[in-house]
Amino acid sequence: MKNFLENLLLFKEPKQTEKFILKENKQDTEKDSEKASNKNPSQKSNKSKEKDGDTFLDKILGSNQGDDEQEPGAEKKEEKISKKLSTNLKYMKKVYSIPKNGDIVLRAFDIVVKDKTIPAFILFYDGMTDREVINNYILTPLMLLSNLDIKGNERKIIDYIKNHILPQSQLNETSEYTSVIDEINFGGCGIFIDGIDVAFAADVKGWEHRNVERPNSEQVLRGPQEGFTEILRVNTALVRKILKDEKLIVEDVIIGKRSKTPCSMLYLRDITNESLVEEMRRRLESIKIDYLIDSGELEQLLEESSLSVVPQLMATERPDMVAAHIADGKIGVIVHGSPFVLLAPVTLVDLLQSPEDAYMRLPYAHLLRFVRFLGIFFSLLLPGLYIAITSFHQEMIPTDLVFSIEASREVVPFPSVVELLLMEVMFELIREAGIRIPGPIGPTLGIIGALILGQAAVEASIVSPILIIIVAITGIGSFAVPNYSLGLSFRVLRFGYIFLGAMAGFLGITLGLFIQGILFVNSKSFGVPVTIPTGPKTATSFSNNRLIRLPLWKQERRADYLNTQDDTKQPKISRKWTEDNKKRKGDGDEE
Amino acid sequence: MAMKNKITFGSFEASCITITLITTQLFLNLPRAMMEVAWTAAWLLTAYVSVIALLLFFIIDRLYRPFEGKDLLDLGEHIGGNIGRIIVGIIVLLFLIYITPVILREFSENMKIIALTRSPLSFVLLFFLTGMIIASYAGLESIVRLSAIIVPIIAVGYLMIITGSLRYIDFSRITPWLGSGPYEIFVKGAPRISVFAGIILVYFLYPFIRTKKNFTTVGYASVVFSGLFFFIGVLIFSLIFQYPTGTESFLPIYELARLVEYGRFFQRLESMFVIIWVASALLHLSILLFLIAYVFKKTFKLKYYKPLIIPFSIIIFSLAIFSHNLLSAIELEKHFRTFAWMVTFLLPIVLLIIARFVKQPAKKEGES
Repeated sequence: MKNFLENLLLFKEPKQTEKFILKENKQDTEKDSEKASNKNPSQKSNKSKEKDGDTFLDKILGSNQGDDEQEPGAEKKEEKISKKLSTNLKYMKKVYSIPKNGDIVLRAFDIVVKDKTIPAFILFYDGMTDREVINNYILTPLMLLSNLDIKGNERKIIDYIKNHILPQSQLNETSEYTSVIDEINFGGCGIFIDGIDVAFAADVKGWEHRNVERPNSEQVLRGPQEGFTEILRVNTALVRKILKDEKLIVEDVIIGKRSKTPCSMLYLRDITNESLVEEMRRRLESIKIDYLIDSGELEQLLEESSLSVVPQLMATERPDMVAAHIADGKIGVIVHGSPFVLLAPVTLVDLLQSPEDAYMRLPYAHLLRFVRFLGIFFSLLLPGLYIAITSFHQEMIPTDLVFSIEASREVVPFPSVVELLLMEVMFELIREAGIRIPGPIGPTLGIIGALILGQAAVEASIVSPILIIIVAITGIGSFAVPNYSLGLSFRVLRFGYIFLGAMAGFLGITLGLFIQGILFVNSKSFGVPVTIPTGPKTATSFSNNRLIRLPLWKQERRADYLNTQDDTKQPKISRKWTEDNKKRKGDGDEE
Repeated sequence: MAMKNKITFGSFEASCITITLITTQLFLNLPRAMMEVAWTAAWLLTAYVSVIALLLFFIIDRLYRPFEGKDLLDLGEHIGGNIGRIIVGIIVLLFLIYITPVILREFSENMKIIALTRSPLSFVLLFFLTGMIIASYAGLESIVRLSAIIVPIIAVGYLMIITGSLRYIDFSRITPWLGSGPYEIFVKGAPRISVFAGIILVYFLYPFIRTKKNFTTVGYASVVFSGLFFFIGVLIFSLIFQYPTGTESFLPIYELARLVEYGRFFQRLESMFVIIWVASALLHLSILLFLIAYVFKKTFKLKYYKPLIIPFSIIIFSLAIFSHNLLSAIELEKHFRTFAWMVTFLLPIVLLIIARFVKQPAKKEGES
């Protein structure tokens, strides 16, 4: 308590920290930077190519080796795989606590070659692997293949097994235990053979998972209907399916000491600002956490300010959204096990957009957008404005309306703030309970909500009907916010506006808006101010898919704030046929 | 210096905040004050004053040429070292600390009159003060960015009020054309250029907007747009309220807003006016508080301005409740509007001339 007061009252010298800023290219230095960026991509691309060429497993190995080096206190491991099968068997049994562990399967067998018998064993987790694949493509070739010709040195046996016997697309040969163990932990199959000091790890993942379904929280009428699933590679494929570009890089990072959650960072090599990629990589790689389950957790670990009123990363279930944003120069982060993909940096306008805005024809898109803004306005301000007007600015209400409001309020015993808070809390309660309520009794909640809370409360003169309307409109409006996280933020702020409106009418509301504005302009998402098209004003404020959407053929440049390597999205005339039309017409006139 | 250079913003943002700082008095009592001096020719006085302000800024802009990116304090230092800087700093601080509580008081009193008739004054004051403190803590960058969002909205609201009340205009109300007479207007009215006192912000924004081009753009845009808003406001006000009646209205633009009605249903829209009114007040007061803390910090070469915000806001709050009533606050503002031009226009011109001639040789070599 004392500390808290001291912190609050006394000044402490702020720590000198340099925050990441997505730097703006000055026009003068544009050429220089272009040169630099031209140089860099080539270096980068080599690197990326190398990385791209690597298999997923390689990266697991790489990063885990790093992990092990950092933790000397951990269980001391025998690093290299032994030539003796018995040693390996003993070691693996110890590592996997066999036979205490129920779901690990250790299958020992012999590979018979001519008159020689080579003992071997495989190791995998039951349930995480595909039994068919193991039976048909690992055990069958190894056990039934009798033509194993052992002539030369060991190296040849390894090559022979790898090249001729095991028909696996992802088969890794390794001489270290840790990498085999990691692969087994992630649904792989470890193969140990006597007499050679390497083991094989085959990718035989085959766990149960959800199929690609419609996105739950972001449905659209027009546009693709696919949503992400929990499987990392399915998700990356969903994006790749849209952006069929070899420059789309999928960089893998492992996060979590226990969960070892694979995450992928997606960006376009020749578009995305390199410092942004660097920053994202730096943040992702530096995360040290026990377990990471959902991208919601990763979002909290990546954001700069935990108390900001604006989400600093956008979470979406839609591959088309991710693809569009990546093509515009943003970075996507996919977390294995989460159907929500993170996008950064985001601005407020991005959060207020629905993918439908781009798919619909211009007039409809604007109508939808306008309705959405109205919904947001209602969800944030309507209850506060109602309180402010009824308590301080009654003169604003036309006379007839005053009469009807007053008549309905006459019998209500509470002051309107109490009444409103009561209803808002009830509404929040219904909403929260609605998510958790078991399916079959779901409709009951509707009946309780509508009948008891609505009608009965009015009839019992606990609340006035006008208030029910206000709360209902607010509730409907809050569902119009396309981004769930931002919607939640508005839900919380709404209560602030109720209090401010009750305290000082429009003065309070305006103060609230002012403070919210200050908080908004102060928030940054990966070095980009979230209020970007208007404050600060950027060059392409209105020429892109921003507050007002221009026709698709007019969206010629990428967002200025992203400072992409390539600014141009499409040529000045993207509908070439219009030029042909002009020519044709010109000819006609001359004739 | 390194810290300072990190924050930069464009000329649009800088113009927005400067326009707010200049024009907010339009929402207080500017049309009335103009009318008191020039009677029916208030619009003429406004135009006249705007032109003078433009000319003066033209001179200042020319004089400023060799001193790119320097604010008034840097100029003071350039002339007289630490002493020069501190003298300039103290003058500017006194200027700011004089006007901030007065404006705060006027806004709060008027708010009380318009909507919060039963709330105590200190309660209303605290509302404004909260906004000021939070904004000042967030810093110049945030205030300026927010102004870029809010100012266009305020401008639209303001123009809506003006257009809504257009149907009441009667051109006979501004006759006689010369009002209180040419001498009163053109000679005695000249110190009224103090209505552009807010332009002082531009001199302090110079290090943040960096280039000379931006400085010129921001300065001219601020003076021209503010002058335009003033002119429209005063003209419409005097076309609707005749001279003697007009001098009695407390909040001229609010009175205009009361006339606005769109159809039978939307008859009393003036409360909506409160929103743009409070928003502009908050912006205005926030930048003033920030400026006080910033100038104090820079004058005395302190490292941080944030610890100064709370002490200064307490001082401002205390000074704001110092006046007996709204009228004495208005009286204080009147004095301010008579002398403010000395700090906003005279001081920079004098400083720039001295800086140019006294220290010219040494500096010029260094610069060229």
